[in-house]
Amino acid sequence: MATLPVDDLAITRAFGPHLSPRTLSRASDEPERLVKTHCCFCGQQCGIQLKVKNDAVIGFEPWEDFPFNRGMLCPKGVKRYLQGSHPDRLLTALARDPSVENGFRSMPYDAAIERAAREIRRIQDLHGPAAVGVLGGASLTTEKTYLLGKFARVCLKTPYIDYNGRLCMVSAGAANKKAFGIDRTTSPWSDMVGTDVIWVAGSNVAECSPITTNYIWQARELGAKVIVQDPRITPVARTCDLYLPVRPGRDAALFAGVLQLMIENGWIDRDFIERETVGFEAVAAYCATWPVARVAEVTGVPERSIRKAAELWGIAKSSFLFHARGIEHHSNGVQNALGTINLVLASGRIGKPKSGYGTIVGQANGQGGREHGQKCDQLPGWRDISNPDHRKYIASVWNIKEADLPGPGVDAYELFRKIDAGEIKGLISICFNPKVSLPDNQFVTRALEKLEFYVAIDFFLNDTARHADLVLPGSLQEEDEGTVTQVEGRVIKINKAVDCPGEARQDWRIIQDLAKALGRPHGFTFDSPRAIFDELRVASKGGVADYSGISYEKIERQMGVFWPCPSDDHPGTPRLFEPGSDNPVAKGKGRFYFPDGKARFNVAEYRPAVDDVSEEYPLFLTTGRVVSQFLSGTQTRRIGPLVKHYPEPRIELHPRLAEKLGIADGAWATAETRRGAITLRAMVVTTIRPDTIFIPYHWPGDKSANRLTVAAQDPISKIPQYKVCGCRLRPADGPPAYAKEREAQQ
Amino acid sequence: MSVPQHLEFFVDPSRCIGCRACVEACTECDTHRGEPMIHLEYIDRGASVQTVPVVCMHCEQPTCAEVCPADAIKRTGDGVVQSARKPRCIACGNCVVACPFGVPELYIDRAIMMKCDMCYDRTSVGKKPMCATVCPSQALYFGTREQISALRPQSMPTNTFRFGDQVIRTRVNVMVPRRPAAPAQIDVTAAMDERPPSRAVRLPVVGDDPDPFAEVEV
Amino acid sequence: MVARSHALRASLWASIFTLALAVLIIVGSRRLANFDAALVGYTFATLFATFGITYRYAMWLQRPPTRMYWKRGWQAFVSPRFLAGNLGRFVQRAVVEVAGNRFIFRRSALRGLTHWLLMWGCIIAAAITFPLVFGWIHFETVPGHLDTYRTYVFGFAAGDFPVASWLAFMVFHGLVWASFLVLAGVMLAFRRRMIDHGAMAAQQFGEDILPLVLLGAISMTGLMLTVSYTWLRGYAYDFLAILHAVTVIVTLLWLPFGKFFHIFQRPAQLGVGFYKDVGARSEQARCARCDREFASAAMIRDLIDVERELGFKYETSGGTGHYQRICPACRRAMFGLAQGALWRGENHGDTAR
Repeated sequence: MATLPVDDLAITRAFGPHLSPRTLSRASDEPERLVKTHCCFCGQQCGIQLKVKNDAVIGFEPWEDFPFNRGMLCPKGVKRYLQGSHPDRLLTALARDPSVENGFRSMPYDAAIERAAREIRRIQDLHGPAAVGVLGGASLTTEKTYLLGKFARVCLKTPYIDYNGRLCMVSAGAANKKAFGIDRTTSPWSDMVGTDVIWVAGSNVAECSPITTNYIWQARELGAKVIVQDPRITPVARTCDLYLPVRPGRDAALFAGVLQLMIENGWIDRDFIERETVGFEAVAAYCATWPVARVAEVTGVPERSIRKAAELWGIAKSSFLFHARGIEHHSNGVQNALGTINLVLASGRIGKPKSGYGTIVGQANGQGGREHGQKCDQLPGWRDISNPDHRKYIASVWNIKEADLPGPGVDAYELFRKIDAGEIKGLISICFNPKVSLPDNQFVTRALEKLEFYVAIDFFLNDTARHADLVLPGSLQEEDEGTVTQVEGRVIKINKAVDCPGEARQDWRIIQDLAKALGRPHGFTFDSPRAIFDELRVASKGGVADYSGISYEKIERQMGVFWPCPSDDHPGTPRLFEPGSDNPVAKGKGRFYFPDGKARFNVAEYRPAVDDVSEEYPLFLTTGRVVSQFLSGTQTRRIGPLVKHYPEPRIELHPRLAEKLGIADGAWATAETRRGAITLRAMVVTTIRPDTIFIPYHWPGDKSANRLTVAAQDPISKIPQYKVCGCRLRPADGPPAYAKEREAQQ
Repeated sequence: MSVPQHLEFFVDPSRCIGCRACVEACTECDTHRGEPMIHLEYIDRGASVQTVPVVCMHCEQPTCAEVCPADAIKRTGDGVVQSARKPRCIACGNCVVACPFGVPELYIDRAIMMKCDMCYDRTSVGKKPMCATVCPSQALYFGTREQISALRPQSMPTNTFRFGDQVIRTRVNVMVPRRPAAPAQIDVTAAMDERPPSRAVRLPVVGDDPDPFAEVEV
Repeated sequence: MVARSHALRASLWASIFTLALAVLIIVGSRRLANFDAALVGYTFATLFATFGITYRYAMWLQRPPTRMYWKRGWQAFVSPRFLAGNLGRFVQRAVVEVAGNRFIFRRSALRGLTHWLLMWGCIIAAAITFPLVFGWIHFETVPGHLDTYRTYVFGFAAGDFPVASWLAFMVFHGLVWASFLVLAGVMLAFRRRMIDHGAMAAQQFGEDILPLVLLGAISMTGLMLTVSYTWLRGYAYDFLAILHAVTVIVTLLWLPFGKFFHIFQRPAQLGVGFYKDVGARSEQARCARCDREFASAAMIRDLIDVERELGFKYETSGGTGHYQRICPACRRAMFGLAQGALWRGENHGDTAR
């Protein structure tokens, strides 16, 4: 029974999100110690020191020695410490109880574990092991993601595990795998400084990865030209050298057009293409169908800007291109990412100092979380769950029969479709709030309601966990240790600052407790994250994402280790594809991770978006983040000063559009798509394409941008198409009900 | 305890991305817990995402101190203009409206003016100010002249500002372009009638595009 | 020249006040008949302090912004239309803000309490000590009624009370109670100055620690005198008396120079209040750039006068006429715009000058 036990408003009143105070400690508080660790939010994973007193985090101190951010932090990092000691923190297990006013009653932890195990066993006995699904998250440490993948396959024996990186990293990952055979940013960010040109494709760096801004500005100080491709004039786009105001969903066409101009003008490295790549001819043939006039027509970018982009990129001696969700959140996401890779490969500038290609990961462990087995088709070390050799190796590490290892499962959204279809009846989720974060989320809600049994592990009662039969109190990032892999591919160490409060447990313990209660403790008797990491090192050995030479000590000593790191004496690999470099796939044949050692050009075809603009829905809707909020807001909507910064979602629209529709700045407006409608205040700004509206997605319910978005997915990566769909906008009839009932952050 | 003379504050508002990390970090300070002393504002959000961070510039001849009837604002020997002395400040607000940079703030309930003191608690013991430490765009930078000139070859610091006929020199520097010719001073009052353009191309490479969306049909 | 005339004027005022006090002492003590010669050191220290405080106050009042506020504050207060209301507000504010220290309690309850204890301890002590020292008040036993005291104020009898009464005990130990208040305040203040990082970062010995040391020393030595004559049969009384006198005299001599001067300066807060009341009632200045109200028009006019007098030249050639007509928010925006324009190659810098 996974319907809401009582009215959502009653749950909200009891469990929040409520706001933390602005600051926590008093001026007289002397921290007992400073714990060097990293921010719990985005994939930049800035180094930070937490001030600890009386087993509570009471503040922060910049960590200026950590090389990536050298003390720099965004407002989320500055205020992240306020999530501990929060009144909404779950301190006991909760059981769904409609007879209680707030819908949940607390229960002893052990009894909750027993009950969860009983229900899982019941469902699996009745409907088979695949009737239980697992959803993980990319904010978990690599140890936890590894354990969760193992838990699903070994303990639950279900193929159905996936994670919220599905909404984040998968387009880039799939494209990287197709083009390079390895999925990682090629170069450390320091390679950006000193480069000739930086291309920012669909990344609102200033708000989503603020620390990267300084790298871009620093590069510009040293002479780099900056190109930004975005439908909105973001803070970096405001002063960049060349702004490409692309119409949402048309990125592949732009890349094809630029490559065509590069080919026409001879701005490509024919020698490199010839020697070290395959597939260029097909790409060139496709690009030939994209003369610049057609590109301008389709993308909405002026012809002269496209030409300038091709020239800047083409003639540069060194270059750095990175992209983020802006081009990846599309049903054409993999093609878009491949389009950028084609530009990079054609330039021949890869594996060189001051040059690079990368994708900005969104979540804390967006990189590490996708490498070691919580992805539905993957086993640790970026191994393929369908590859017999890979299966055999992992089965041997896990000490099970290869035949007992389930095959590939389905992506997170498909998993909900299976719930909806009644195939999956039980769900275990951790670190995932799909009711806010998945597209067309009213479908997600309906699917959740069909579950027979749902157990959620979390530290706050997030919007999805409200549907749970059982909520197990998990751990905040600062309550556990482990590793994560940040945007550059640098494996870093999260250090424990405080103990879990109340009956809350470290997530890996909860998973192991479940395994034990299920009577299948085999392989789940680790006594520390370090022990899990040691097994992970073995499991990843020989894989593409080889962590076998990484140890906690080496991470601390080197302030991070770039994978692959195949042996104890290996320093790690900050820059991939350096000339002369080798890898376990090419085995000396070349620097790319294919048997022939050559990189792949892939035809990156433009396909119109699903549910594109139409007469009925004439506006582009695009969604994204604001700097003060993070993902579904489970943490950041509870941190007072961050909420104050941007309390509620607003609809950004251009004054020309506003005038046409009769919508004033600050007035209520209703945005509507084929999925639903939401009413928010309008924010009239000249910094967005007049044919596009933007809504940030961090809020639930009637404020949720994902009520509007379409559940179309990329055929390869299965990433949802958050960044474009047809929409219409009108002045609202009046203020929505939530305006009176709820606080801004709720 | 004083701020070493070779360490200086360098501000480059053109780098600012408006993230408010500085504001939030500032509220953590023990001398004014919970209240930010740095200003960070959109200049005109409707027109542009341009933001400007404003710290106390620490004038050589501080207008705020001169117009203070209570003699509550003092400039210490290291050139730092300190926040109002609490026993003296009578919360009249003269400093608030007189400061040419718009820095001081009045807290009426507590009858006190507070302003940025360059993180005296940190800078006087050899640390960087909190805002300049966390600033992700390094629009706020704290270090030596040698460091800034190595980091920013296209920029140079200036500390001279014009407000009408008044020239003000400050301890805090603002970064200005080195080319074509670095201005001797920044004329703040010349920006009187300006509205921020949505795009502010720093080094035009395509040519003038004041409105990149001019051709988009609604 | 200006400075010299200011100093001359201040010296004059200081002399007048000091002389007036001297005369009052002589008259009030009935030509020194009721004056205790042992307290002559205190008296001279007080006269010195009076000179110093008046001199500094007069110098302070001559600073252009202070003079402006002094003038405007009184004008606002005595304005015939509002005098009655002003008197009411004066009493209310004097009680709540000055006597109650509400604005300090708002900074933090403990800081409010600290200051309140210190302030009232000092006020009580001063109210007892100075009239006694100056010989303005003294007590005598009523002839024929050895169990009754008679209070004399300026030499006039002003009421009797029994020696053994509760009242007598309270009155004669007034300084003890005051010391308790002060000591509690000093301890709280020291506690804050030892553990509060914010306070520690900004505090200076002379400005913040020394006053506490002095107040603590006065209270402690005073209490030791009481202990000496109450329980120790006057053990080391003379020495303690001298020690106490030294602490008090040093404090009196230091009064015009250090932190304690705020005792005299601070009531200006009340004047500012009336000025602000008038400002709020009258025309508001609108920013010449954003057209939003940001202060009272009178305040802006006065500030322009003050700035001119101080030698600032914020006059602008454009329509605004004076930079003071631009609100703080727009000043910050213009600062950003001017710098941004330089990076666009537009001339908001000035290479010529």
